[in-house]
Amino acid sequence: MSEALVSMRGIGKYIYGESGKALRNSEVKILDGVDFELRSGEVNVLVGENGAGKSTLMKVLGGVIPPDEGEILMDGHPVSFRDPREARAAGVAFIHQELNLCPNLDVAHNIFLGREPKRRGMKDASLMYARSAELIRSLSCDIDPREMVSRLSTAQQQVIEIAKAISFSSRVMIMDEPTASLTKREIDMLFGLIKRMRSEGMGIVYISHRFEEFLEIGDRVTVLRDGRGVGQLPMSEFDEAKVIKMMAGRSIDSLYPKTHGGAAESVLEVRGLRLTPRTPPIDIDVRAGEVVGLGGLVGSGRTELAKSVFGARRMAGGELRYLGRRLDRWNPRRAIAAGMAYLSEDRKAEGLVLGMNIRENVSLAALGDFLRFGLIAPRAERSKVEGLVGELSVVARSIEQPVATLSGGNQQRCVLAKWLATAPKLLILDEPTRGIDVGAKAQIHGLIDRIAAAGVAVLMISSELPELIGMSDRIYVMREGGVVAELAAGPDLTQERVVQYICVGCE
Amino acid sequence: MSSSSRSGAGVPSSRSGGLPAALREFAGAHVSFLIFAVIAALACASVPNFAQADNFAVVVRQSAIPIIACIGMTMVLMTGGIDLSLGYIVGLSSIVSGILAKNLLLPAPLVLAVVLGLGALIGLANGAIIQFGKVPAFITTLGSGYILYGVAQIVSQGSIVNRLPAAFLAIGRTSLLGLPSSVFIALLVAGIFQVLIGSAAFGRRLRAFGFGPKAAGLSGVPVARINVSVYCLCGALAALAGLLLTIRVNAAQPNMGGGTFTFEAVTAAIVGGTSLFGGVGSVVGSIFGVLTIKIIENCINLLGVSYHLYLAVQGVIILAAIVLGNLAHRRG
Repeated sequence: MSEALVSMRGIGKYIYGESGKALRNSEVKILDGVDFELRSGEVNVLVGENGAGKSTLMKVLGGVIPPDEGEILMDGHPVSFRDPREARAAGVAFIHQELNLCPNLDVAHNIFLGREPKRRGMKDASLMYARSAELIRSLSCDIDPREMVSRLSTAQQQVIEIAKAISFSSRVMIMDEPTASLTKREIDMLFGLIKRMRSEGMGIVYISHRFEEFLEIGDRVTVLRDGRGVGQLPMSEFDEAKVIKMMAGRSIDSLYPKTHGGAAESVLEVRGLRLTPRTPPIDIDVRAGEVVGLGGLVGSGRTELAKSVFGARRMAGGELRYLGRRLDRWNPRRAIAAGMAYLSEDRKAEGLVLGMNIRENVSLAALGDFLRFGLIAPRAERSKVEGLVGELSVVARSIEQPVATLSGGNQQRCVLAKWLATAPKLLILDEPTRGIDVGAKAQIHGLIDRIAAAGVAVLMISSELPELIGMSDRIYVMREGGVVAELAAGPDLTQERVVQYICVGCE
Repeated sequence: MSSSSRSGAGVPSSRSGGLPAALREFAGAHVSFLIFAVIAALACASVPNFAQADNFAVVVRQSAIPIIACIGMTMVLMTGGIDLSLGYIVGLSSIVSGILAKNLLLPAPLVLAVVLGLGALIGLANGAIIQFGKVPAFITTLGSGYILYGVAQIVSQGSIVNRLPAAFLAIGRTSLLGLPSSVFIALLVAGIFQVLIGSAAFGRRLRAFGFGPKAAGLSGVPVARINVSVYCLCGALAALAGLLLTIRVNAAQPNMGGGTFTFEAVTAAIVGGTSLFGGVGSVVGSIFGVLTIKIIENCINLLGVSYHLYLAVQGVIILAAIVLGNLAHRRG
């Protein structure tokens, strides 16, 4: 029970530049000297904010990516995995949040994929089905090994993943948010399985954001923050407030400008919007001249809400009122024409057209303004783009430079310039400072503040708590597709309070 | 904001390279012209009877109609799609124009209008299936191409319509400055589409859509409208090519065009610098592309080598373009 099954020491991982080379001299690291220990017969719960490095750390353990620094020991012997296959052979099974099964194959073929039992060179199907049935029975489940995986529920598919892991005689099981899409009953069943595996001496790493689950299933909690290990504590010492404090103690590295404020008339009213038929209705308001923050975990529905408002996604119910008008048959084209702008979190696929240059990207959303008899007036376009590029201090040789050759911060300035060219009344920002360096970040914060001060309504999604709290006048916290809290800015709006709503909800 | 020390991490490596860089830039922007110039120079130097005024006129005359079709194909390729039905639209519009002009004795302008409308309608159907049915362009146009081929055979009842009315033939045969009017029609089409793709909002949006459909859609580009209209325009241009081909040979036949014609249009577009991955393409490039492969065809004829070598050369060009494009993509 007490010897370390796995111990990871001083694991470090650099960020990677455009060229695919590790940026060794960068101040920012994804993982920085992380120690992690897993004993056999325990469930070690790994917690941390978005971007704290949980998934990266587990990818290193699962052989998905190699560490740049540090070592991994199994049973006290150093090991290194070149790919997931080697990790699996050594007994490390990784069950990803998105399950890795082939939906077009049946259960048995999935369990034995690529290593089907053979007899005289031919696949021995009857043995394979018999062994699969046995495995599934050993998990006290009742799933026909001949059933197609596409016809199984998510929970059943998870059982198949677990069966597959056991068939490799795995000793370490990594589970990345396994309960994200399960019902209460299915979760109980999964926990039963986890407890059984634990009693058989397996070590289980359990990544989750749900505090209520830790208490039930966990033996120890490991907290990561900004790519560093903050501490491990046994469940007997678990205290919600303490763990929240450990998670949220991110240093605030810059002061946030706040010259805006004093909200005026309402710009956007969302009433009873449902992202899917099963999620709760959402009501939010955004007024001119204020920055409204949208907090929550990745996958809590923030981006979906933003895209629904912008008309880029169909909503399952409810209505939108924009500038006092009810929106009907809404799409991005109409949204832009009406003065909405949406800066996507996915800069490379949704923010910029990477094959085009700065000028063409910046003018794209407002192209109609530069037309004369249907033709683009080159001079009008150039002067507008040059003005914006100068105003946002984009660093480039000229506006003819391809955007693909710019740094992340300059690319983001270009996307912002594109939206400012449309003179928006409502600016929706989805992770506006993701993946850009500290100096550029501060400058973008300054810009957002100026935009709001000029009377634009800003709705800002951010996973970075200091940014969310520092920039916003009000914050809506989302969880599982609904808004669970509305928090006003003020001295008592702390990171701890926001984390509590994000992880625990409103109850 | 107190001490946001800028770390020296993200300093971009300077790319200035003086003259070679400028040369590379020029070459990058004018690849199609350079290829054309090299091939033409090689032909002049090594193929007897090539470098003669009336042979040049032959090349120009033979290029005119493929240029019209190639411009249509270029726009489709710029979206990242392909129109394999192009050659079969040529065949159907050929037999239809023959029947309308000779059997039904319709006036020439009306025949032109009906055939262009037919091509546009077929393209509209292609585009609608691709955009709204979410069927890959390759499959859609392969299927529709065979449908059109079958329809053309049925309509013709296995015969060809020849000795067409003089007024109809005049559309493409009127001689101006020693060249047939079909050459000037091709120039007019090229001019119109050069403006449409090079200077109008349509071309900018088409390129944005071809490079990044998601980003384009979220920037307000009317993605569906562009994707459908490209096939529609391509269909109309294919129909015009079919009508002019019919006039050139003075015979309306359902076998005209076909797979080889489609293939020629794709090859010419690629030689003209169009990317099969979308976003890149130009009218001027496509004109040079057609001229280049027509010079190759012309040389093969002059040298008395089998015509089938021309088909093989096209295959080599397309495969080489795809392999090189893939390599470039992987590096990017």
